[in-house]
Amino acid sequence: MSDTNSRIEKKHKFLPAKILKNGSNNLYVKTVNKSVIVNIKPENAKEIVNSEGRITEGGCASKRYIARCYLQPKHVPIWYSETMILHIGSTKKKYFESIYYVKKLAPFRTNFFVKFTDLLKNRSYKYMMYATKQPSLRIKQADLKCKNGCGYYGNPDWGGYCSKCYRGTMEKDRHHRKSNSDQNRSPVAGFSKFEEKKRQQTDKKSKYLNFAPVFRKTSAAKDVGRPERHHESRHINPEMQKLELEYMSYIHLGKQVRDDFFRFVKFVNINLRNEVNTRPIEEVAAAAQKYYNFFTNRINTHEIYAKVEQDLKDHLIDFFEKFSMTLLYGILFCPHATNDEEKDLAIQRRIRQLSWVNAHHLDCCISETSMEVRDLVYAAITHLLGMDSVKAPQEKLSYVVRCCQSVVEVLQHCQGGPVSADEFLPALIFVVLKANPARLKSNILYVTRFCNDTRLMQGEGGYYFTNLCCAVSFIENLTAESLNMSEEEFQGYMTGTITSVSAWESALVACEGMHQLCEHLSQLKGLSERMDAVQDGTERLRESMEAFKKEINTKVVEIRESTPLIIKPRKVPISLDKQDSNTANLPSPLAPTVISTNTVSEHVEAVTIPITIDPVTDETENHTSVGHFYAQNLAAQELNLTDSKKGKLQLDITPCMPIDTLKQSQSNELLGYDTQSLDGFITPDEGSLLGLSNINYDIDLSDLSADNSAADELTPEKRKSPNFIVDPFSPLSAPCNIAQSPLIPSTATTSKTETKSDGFILPFKIEESNLLDTQENHSPINLPSPIKPHAPHYSGFSTQGVQIPSIPCNTGDYSSLNLLQQNENNQASSSSVADSQKEENKSNEKVVKVLGGVLDTFDKLF
Amino acid sequence: MARDYDHLFKLLIIGDSGVGKSSLLLRFADNTFSGSYITTIGVDFKIRTVNIDGQRIKLQIWDTAGQERFRTITSTYYRGTHGVIVVYDVTNGESFANVKRWLLEIEQNCDVVNKVLVGNKNDCPDRKVVLTEDAERFARTLNIILFETSAKDNLNVEEMFLCVTRLVLKSKSTGEQRKEKVLLAEVTRRKRKQDR
Repeated sequence: MSDTNSRIEKKHKFLPAKILKNGSNNLYVKTVNKSVIVNIKPENAKEIVNSEGRITEGGCASKRYIARCYLQPKHVPIWYSETMILHIGSTKKKYFESIYYVKKLAPFRTNFFVKFTDLLKNRSYKYMMYATKQPSLRIKQADLKCKNGCGYYGNPDWGGYCSKCYRGTMEKDRHHRKSNSDQNRSPVAGFSKFEEKKRQQTDKKSKYLNFAPVFRKTSAAKDVGRPERHHESRHINPEMQKLELEYMSYIHLGKQVRDDFFRFVKFVNINLRNEVNTRPIEEVAAAAQKYYNFFTNRINTHEIYAKVEQDLKDHLIDFFEKFSMTLLYGILFCPHATNDEEKDLAIQRRIRQLSWVNAHHLDCCISETSMEVRDLVYAAITHLLGMDSVKAPQEKLSYVVRCCQSVVEVLQHCQGGPVSADEFLPALIFVVLKANPARLKSNILYVTRFCNDTRLMQGEGGYYFTNLCCAVSFIENLTAESLNMSEEEFQGYMTGTITSVSAWESALVACEGMHQLCEHLSQLKGLSERMDAVQDGTERLRESMEAFKKEINTKVVEIRESTPLIIKPRKVPISLDKQDSNTANLPSPLAPTVISTNTVSEHVEAVTIPITIDPVTDETENHTSVGHFYAQNLAAQELNLTDSKKGKLQLDITPCMPIDTLKQSQSNELLGYDTQSLDGFITPDEGSLLGLSNINYDIDLSDLSADNSAADELTPEKRKSPNFIVDPFSPLSAPCNIAQSPLIPSTATTSKTETKSDGFILPFKIEESNLLDTQENHSPINLPSPIKPHAPHYSGFSTQGVQIPSIPCNTGDYSSLNLLQQNENNQASSSSVADSQKEENKSNEKVVKVLGGVLDTFDKLF
Repeated sequence: MARDYDHLFKLLIIGDSGVGKSSLLLRFADNTFSGSYITTIGVDFKIRTVNIDGQRIKLQIWDTAGQERFRTITSTYYRGTHGVIVVYDVTNGESFANVKRWLLEIEQNCDVVNKVLVGNKNDCPDRKVVLTEDAERFARTLNIILFETSAKDNLNVEEMFLCVTRLVLKSKSTGEQRKEKVLLAEVTRRKRKQDR
């Protein structure tokens, strides 16, 4: 038998495989790593039909029992159910032969992995393979059957049961455990729950890691591990595709560079593959480092890469490492020739034993009860677990860095301020203990062996990875002394005689309810905080409202105190007598007005027809009405005053209506006067016009403002009026001549001008009366009125067109209109009225200002 | 893009816990008046670029945990280290006594390393326990440069780090010179052979 064995050994390589049960009575062997699935048909032993052809792809044995499918599975019928050693790389016939031999060999035990690791701890897996020759390891066909004896074949994954029986036992187990944990929460039960909880956690995390969950717990999570396997097999290709895509992204470097790169990757791939089979892993690692250095040198010195920028060169070096390591991950990670896996299991067991260690033991200041800290710790754990999900060493390093950064965050959150290594290392140890990552040791060894040395010795990744190594070695060498506790206490914890209840455990183990309670409490806390904030806000708002109210009240009171005092006395001066007295006091121009009124009264009888060619008659006519207007004005003023007391707004509104109505009624007359006045004083006419109708003015004014020649503009208006026909020709046809003629009377005697002005005023008076009713607000500009007698200047306007624009510009304001009107008004009517109006307006303005301020404050508030 | 430095040195800060290793590091790496620092990654791992004799030198300074129980495991930190800064607390005699142990550890873990001895917290003469003379004598016997610094008052910190950097730079250049000498000897030997 040994002869045949040696013969086969010489000829072929072998591959451990495992037996899976098919739906039918067939078994098929699934080889590790190569995913060759072989059907076993015990009934038709002779019928060896190779449907899929030969099994190709030379490879080596892998110690990992969990299959990784690199290729699509193929079904190949095989001779005998016992056999698990397959010959690879043979033709159909040889294959048949090999099976023949194999049949004679002692087969692997189906669950060899579990048993063998115990038996042959110090031997390599290669040795283990050949150790199958030992007869003690022979298994009979009966051993393959379900332990329950149901006649179906069992599966080592399912504890030797067939699928159905396994499910049943699992169910029972779970029930048992539940009742157990309900009765007394023993540390063991608690632990299993802890594991479960953690698994849930990883499930959650798997969302973030775009890779299948990595968390393959050897014992507890075995049931989870199964579906992942197939999942992973599907994931292999995308990963390579991604790498290839990245490779394609270097297309701009040119064909030469890419070819050279790819050739080198291939070369390294093949060499390392060969070396793994022949040399110990440390030498392979050294070789890998050599290749890195070689490639770095090549990329820096070779002419092909001369044009490549330094940045890209670094990228290429990184990518080279990533590419080749991802390709070789299967054989380099946790290689079969080492006992990495055992170390994994050992450290995992160790960490499980140390599950009672809490932050307090480690002297680190992580507050386990705080929700935020817990979340951050979870984040750190997630990153640490994520390390196993990636293949390239640099990616693994990046996960370590992320983990450590979140640990730093935790510490910053807990203690505030900068974090030193004195605090960092214990915190990292705590995180490692709580995470208990899968294949931790394998990962660390893989990174130390195959990560570029320069990266490990310097840089952030190197620093944090070193810390992780320290943490792991601390955990491995943990003693009572290192936790500052007595030996007995430590042993007590380790053996489970002493159990500690830490906040962490209570969150993870004790009960979900507590955890939820905690969460709800924190949520409630947050809600109450928000409520408080809202209440504060409302309170503040109310206060500000009240303050505002008070402010307004005080302001209103102030205004009341200041304003009414001024307004009341005003009523008194409005009496006619006072006006007279005022007029008497006023400068000379006013006196003539009084006289003029008298003259007008004399003329009243004579001037019956309103429209006459002589301007004087017109004036007289106007003057006739003056008497009436005085009375009217006064009444109106009084009314207005009362109005003004009430408020400004009314004042503003009132003016428009009466003006229009007045205009309609008296337009003819007024226009007539205007035309006449145009001859003499156009400007006041304009003003009057403007004062009369708002609507027209807007247009006219704009026109006026646009054109400097006001006369041209004005004439059309006058044309419209029927009265215009008489006079207007003169200015239009021969503006200069005619313009001069009216000038003569005006300029000839200033006294006359005064009288004339009186005469002019009258029509305006009529308007004014209306205006007074309406536009008293604008009276403040009455002050300049005495200056206005500049009328002589205006008289010259017809010749000097330039002066005209100045007027329309002002007319934009009502005030300017009023100015002009009120020049005359002042002359005609009593200045006292104007004064009173002024005062009134002032007070009104004050009120308005204050009110405006109040409105502004309101606006600001809302 | 060319590299933004000529040399990249890894420095290690060791010493008992609480002697102010981290504050020294913070003072050196984050001090704003010497605006040449690059980034602060994490807190215990710092990078700063300094300029010495026209050469840009990127310093990576690794902080270590000084607690007694972590002492045995810190050996991994020494990998690829160019210089070590051993820190003790001048107000704490025990930390000075432990310096010997730290130095021994350096001996064990790496062969050629440039060391400096730093007495930190030298800002309060009243509380000073470790006398300068003692430390000086100790340093002289071991042929190490001694600095008395204060991270709090920013005394001597910059000088100390720059001194280490200079030491490393010097040893590196002499090492390179030696290599060159060896190479030259090789070349000449070959030439002689060819001549023969």
